[in-house]
Amino acid sequence: MLNVKHVSKEFKTVKALNDINFTVENGQILGLIGQNGAGKSTTFHSILNFLQYDGEITWENAPITDTVFDQIGYLPEERSLMTKLTIEQQIVYLARLKNRSAKEIKPKIDAWLKKFAVKGTKKDKIKSLSKGNQQKVQLICTMIHEPKLIILDEPFSGLDPVNADLLKQAIFEAKDKGAAIIFSSHDMENVEELCDKLVMLKNGEIVLDGTVSEVRNSFGKTHLFVTTDWSKEQLEELPQVVSVTKRDTNQYLLQLADENAGKEIFERLTGGKYIEEFSQQPPSLNEIFRMKAGVINE
Amino acid sequence: MNKLWIVTFETFLRQIKSWSFVALILGPFVIFGISMGVGYISANSAESGSDIAVISKETVMREQFIKNNKDSVDKKITTVSDAKKAMHKNDLAGYLILNTNENQVKATYYGTSSIDDSLKGKVLAFTTQIQQQLNYAKSGMTLEQVQQLQQQPVFKQNIAKKTGTAKTAKLISFWVTVMMVYTILVTYTGITAQEIASEKGTKIMEIIFSSTTASKYFIGKILGVLLVILSQILIYLVGGWGGYMIAQKASITKDVIAQYHTLINSVLHNLLSINLVFLLLGVVIYTIMAAFSGALVTKAEDASKASQPVIMLSMLALFMTFPFQNNMDSVVVKILSYVPFFSSYFMPMRVINSEAGPVEISISLVILVLSIVLLTFYISKIYQGLMLQTDDSSFWKRFKRGLSYNK
Repeated sequence: MLNVKHVSKEFKTVKALNDINFTVENGQILGLIGQNGAGKSTTFHSILNFLQYDGEITWENAPITDTVFDQIGYLPEERSLMTKLTIEQQIVYLARLKNRSAKEIKPKIDAWLKKFAVKGTKKDKIKSLSKGNQQKVQLICTMIHEPKLIILDEPFSGLDPVNADLLKQAIFEAKDKGAAIIFSSHDMENVEELCDKLVMLKNGEIVLDGTVSEVRNSFGKTHLFVTTDWSKEQLEELPQVVSVTKRDTNQYLLQLADENAGKEIFERLTGGKYIEEFSQQPPSLNEIFRMKAGVINE
Repeated sequence: MNKLWIVTFETFLRQIKSWSFVALILGPFVIFGISMGVGYISANSAESGSDIAVISKETVMREQFIKNNKDSVDKKITTVSDAKKAMHKNDLAGYLILNTNENQVKATYYGTSSIDDSLKGKVLAFTTQIQQQLNYAKSGMTLEQVQQLQQQPVFKQNIAKKTGTAKTAKLISFWVTVMMVYTILVTYTGITAQEIASEKGTKIMEIIFSSTTASKYFIGKILGVLLVILSQILIYLVGGWGGYMIAQKASITKDVIAQYHTLINSVLHNLLSINLVFLLLGVVIYTIMAAFSGALVTKAEDASKASQPVIMLSMLALFMTFPFQNNMDSVVVKILSYVPFFSSYFMPMRVINSEAGPVEISISLVILVLSIVLLTFYISKIYQGLMLQTDDSSFWKRFKRGLSYNK
């Protein structure tokens, strides 16, 4: 288990992290979200000991040292490999730095290249690969030694939907094998799909923490999706309706001030008859993200 | 395998597999070969153009002269017209007409320029000898009288030949040593600074520092470059030894080698001594500084500028040796022979001139080794900060930010 306890970090006068606390259990995926400059990379750099910080970070109840590095797989935000090496040389070199022997890693390379659908052979030079394929090789470098703690900084950036699915599959496989996974992303769909829990940072502080459903439900089921022949003006007259947005012909999104008004609205809209759509939901992660960023700014 | 050795061997293998290393190794051999070839060709062509022809009706006298001066005479040319044709083609420097007329030996030289001084001496000696023989024959003197007249004064000179050779050997050793130190330093500071700078600010450093400590990585890099240097020196030693062995037996060079045997041995003795240790440690300390310098550039694209400060320091040390090569007693020489970065130039200079004893050499070595250890320790501690910070600001700001990056 990764345990981040009361971690703070200051750069001169800027407080990059302010009393951060979270845990990632083995076999759990945590999504770290936040605007640019929120402190996501500083959090990763603190976990990896690139920075000195106040507080405590432990992996399996021990401080993160050189030996713990062997159990970590890290993918930085910007991609970079040694372009003069072949795919095999690059993967083997980085795996050897994780205390895995070439003998152990070499037989696995072909299977991983296939898993990520890398176009090319292991004898191809990195520089001969397309950017997308280089990114996939870097993902292989991060995961081939089967790390127990996987840290992925913006892993989906630059990947098309097909390759993003391949990565998701690999992440789920690692999770099934018991790895603790922490990743950052601006794509809330991926976060919602992958994460067991999420932490949102704003100006170095945690502003959201919990499972995806916990976080969403904490905002109340204030989003009402209806399909009705009522007019927009009629819908605006309903109790606790803050705003009405037309989605399509006869399709509307009603923003409620109080989720408890849903029952009364349902009764008035349907009058006990069939209605094509009536769905009361919490706000999406995207909306929560925007709301939280806005709230803090105010 | 220990991560430090993984980095060491990776650095070593990547360097020695590169074309630049092959070029670096073969370069001196190729330059040496080309200069030998050019020298041989030019010597041959110069020789044929500087020959003279000897024309004489007296066959015995002509052959005797040719026998004594076969390296300077083209014996195939026997007539004036052939000699003129050869001169026109620049194949001949001139021709000498040798004759005797009424007991008078006469030698006349025709050439595009005046006769070579050394050959002129030989012609005069030869004609004097022939003239004397004719004079003795005509005078009717007895053999005893002839021998008395041939009595020559005795002139002897005692030259301290060994001292002269030793002085030349010292001079050659000095130049070879400082130029060798400078060349190897400049080469490896450039390679190291570029190697480090090319990684600067790239995310590969984050991946590496998430696998091993910056200290291990830095020391591994330095050891890798050190192995490359050792390989180069080893190849040069083996290649030089082989070349020397061949040169001792090859017909073109064996005479020269035999003639300068003592000098060559003295120079080799001066080079293959404690000076080699100073060279090696000098390269190490400059390499560490080059790595530090490489880590201070703003980004990988600035790699070519990275080695400049260290090369300037090396140049300063090199140029400072020049005024002192004949002034070993200077206090500046004595002080600088103990100062790291300068001692690799100045202590070998003192050793070559037998101006430093074992104690002084040992103290200088200890200071150099300690400096290397302390510098390595310090830079390895701040290396992570230097490599991960990518501010595009001034040198000092980057330096300060690098120092405080992981604090």
